[in-house]
Amino acid sequence: MAALLLRHVGRHCLRARLSPQLCIRNWSLPMAMSICHRGTGIALSAGVSLFGLSALLVPGSFESHLEFVKSLCLGPALIHTAKFALVFPLMYHTWNGIRHLMWDLGKGLTISQLHQSGVAVLVLTVLSSVGLAAM
Amino acid sequence: MATLWRLSALCGSREGRALFLRTPVVRPALVSAFLQDRPAQGWCGTQHIHLSPSHCSGSKAASLHWTGERVVSVLLLGLIPAAYLNPCSAMDYSLVATLTLHSHWGIGQVVTDYVHGDAVQKAAKTGLLVLSAFTFAGLCYFNYHDVGICKAVEALTF
Repeated sequence: MAALLLRHVGRHCLRARLSPQLCIRNWSLPMAMSICHRGTGIALSAGVSLFGLSALLVPGSFESHLEFVKSLCLGPALIHTAKFALVFPLMYHTWNGIRHLMWDLGKGLTISQLHQSGVAVLVLTVLSSVGLAAM
Repeated sequence: MATLWRLSALCGSREGRALFLRTPVVRPALVSAFLQDRPAQGWCGTQHIHLSPSHCSGSKAASLHWTGERVVSVLLLGLIPAAYLNPCSAMDYSLVATLTLHSHWGIGQVVTDYVHGDAVQKAAKTGLLVLSAFTFAGLCYFNYHDVGICKAVEALTF
């Protein structure tokens, strides 16, 4: 299944004449985490911009919008899931951002340290997201 | 700034190559490898990313920008727990300013990496500036006329 997916991606790469990063068989954890750092960054920026622009353009105060959401009487599971979905990219970007700043200081650049810090970031992300969503 | 990069790269000048020194440290691994695999684009500087700093004068502006990015990142990291512990109006505005600057510079890096061509990149950077300006204005408006960022996040814990 994964091989079929890779073959499809590979064909797209060759057709678009992209460099073969997406076509190589073995993705690495640092590579995937790096792309996710960028992806979460872009998503978070889009969210912040959306929030800022809607403050200017959409009528109604923040409280009125919050009251509207509360009036929908959504189940606690759904609310918890929504909060988790909001806070997960923020936590991932924050923890991985700290990892990036460590690299900028010249620390933790060996391959084994890369993998260890990567796993640590993923664990911290899940734990902090669950914790914050529960608040 | 992007034009300066291209000009230097095409001329094969040392100053141009020095700008790429920050590529291994700043860019994600994916993009660094991406740049290395595209030699036939007139970017004669991209292959040589391991020059020693002592041989090149480098661009002060690029170096300062890099440092500025790290400073703002650390500032933002510090502001988040500070805002939790001491929510106030000053904290709201500091958070908004730092957040929009960090976001602006971050997306700026994405544009530099993926948007090629002088005119297109300039247009994209201008569009980004407009978006960041409106975001900043909107968030300041929110702080002034509405509850403010700190109170808003607090209200979300329902």
